[in-house]
Amino acid sequence: MSSLTDRYVWGVLRSVPERQRADLEPEIRAMIADAVEARTAAGAAPPTAERDALIELGDPERLAARYTDRPLHLIGPRYFLDYRRLLAILVPIVAAAVAFAVVLGDTVAGTAIFETVVHAVAAAVGAAIQVAFWVTVGFALVERGDARRTESTAWTPDQLPQLPSPGRLSPVELVLGVTANVLVIAALVWQQAAAPVTVDGQGFTLFDPVLWSFWMPWFIAVAALEVGFTIVLYLNGRWTLLLATVNAVLNAAFALPAIWLLQQGRLINPDLVAALEAIAGGAWFGPTAAVIAVVVAVISAWDAIDGFLKAGRSRGAMGLPAMGSAMPRA
Amino acid sequence: MDFDEILGGAQQELRRGTVVLACLLVLRRPGYGYGLLDQLRELGFSVDANTLYPLLRRLEGQGMLASEWNTDEARPRKFYRTSQDGERLAAALLDDWRRIDGSVRRLDQGDPR
Repeated sequence: MSSLTDRYVWGVLRSVPERQRADLEPEIRAMIADAVEARTAAGAAPPTAERDALIELGDPERLAARYTDRPLHLIGPRYFLDYRRLLAILVPIVAAAVAFAVVLGDTVAGTAIFETVVHAVAAAVGAAIQVAFWVTVGFALVERGDARRTESTAWTPDQLPQLPSPGRLSPVELVLGVTANVLVIAALVWQQAAAPVTVDGQGFTLFDPVLWSFWMPWFIAVAALEVGFTIVLYLNGRWTLLLATVNAVLNAAFALPAIWLLQQGRLINPDLVAALEAIAGGAWFGPTAAVIAVVVAVISAWDAIDGFLKAGRSRGAMGLPAMGSAMPRA
Repeated sequence: MDFDEILGGAQQELRRGTVVLACLLVLRRPGYGYGLLDQLRELGFSVDANTLYPLLRRLEGQGMLASEWNTDEARPRKFYRTSQDGERLAAALLDDWRRIDGSVRRLDQGDPR
C-alpha cells in the first residue's frame, strides 16, 4: 500500500474513537482500492488514479466527522440563538460589575482618577472577553454532548422584544448608570480614607466622620440599590409605572436625608467648615449649603419625574409615527 | 444569481433524503460501497463518496442494513444488504414518496383537492 493512501487512512482514523478504528480501517482501505482500481481500469496511471481517488473522498477529517456524527460547526442552529441572547445579557452586566469593583478598589487605595479609569476600562474589556470565551466554550461542549437529550429552551411569545421606546436603556446607558453609582460609593469611601481637602496644609474629610455611624452606610446602600435598579431596568427593557415609582423612592431616599443633613449643618465636616471660615472670615457656609440643597433637590426631582415621563411614553410607544413607517399595518 | 444556480440549489434540496431510499432499494441485492456509488450515479442520484460511506455505516448501525465481509475475490469487500427492518423503512418511505408524487400531480393539473 502506497504512502498517500496510508497517510489518508491515518488522517481519518486518528480523529475516530479508538474502538471504531479496527472496524473502520479495512472498510476505508477497500473503498480507496475500489476507487483506484476503477480509475486505472479506465486508463489512468496508478499514481494519478490514487491521487484523484483521494481528492474525491475529500478532507479526511471531514470524512471522520461524518462517520462519527460530529458537528463541523462550533455552535449550530439549535443553540445559536440561546447563545447570542445569553451573551447580550451577561457581557454588559459582568463588564459593568467588574468596572465597579475596580473603581471601588482603586478609590479606597487612593489611585489617581485617570489611572483608575484606565484600570476600570481594561478590566471591563478583559472581563467581557473572558465571559464571551467561557460562554462559547460551554455552548460548544453542549453542542458536542448528547444532542437528543439536551433540548434548547423552547421559545415563547413572552420573549418577543419590546418595541423601540423612548425609555429603553441601551447597554451604554447601563454601563454609565452603574458606573455613576459606583463612583458615588467610591467617592464617599475615598474622601474618608484619603482626607483629600487640605486647608493650611492640614487634610480634612469632606463629610462629617460621625455620619459613618448611620448615614454614610445608608447612602452607600442606596447607591448600591441604584446599581441593582439600573440592571433590572436594563433587563426589563422599558420603563414601567412600578419602575418609575421605585426610581422616585430611591431618589428620595438619597436626596431627602442629604438635604436635611446639609440644612442641619451635619453633613459637611464641622472641622473643615471651621477651618475655612477662619480663613475666609464670616459665616458664608449657610448660604452655600442652601444653594447646594436646591441643586440636589432639582436634580433628584427631575430624575424621578423623568422616570414617570418615560414610563408614560413607553406605554404609548405603539402609536409612534416612526413605527408606522417601519411596520406594515394589518 | 442565474437560473441554473437556482435550479441546482432547489434540486439539491429536493433530492436530499432520496439517497437513503435509493440505497435501501438497490441493496435488496447485496452490494459494496464503490459499486453502489457507481450504480446510484448511473441512476442519476448525485451523491458524494464521503457522504455515502458514512451513510451506509449509519444505516447499518440503525439495523436497516446488514453487512458481511466477502473474501471470495482478490480483495476483501464489505457487502451491505437491506435487512427486514430496512424493508419496512423502505416501504414506508415509498408510500410517502408516492403520496407526495400524487399531490404534486394534482397540484400540477390544477386540481385543488
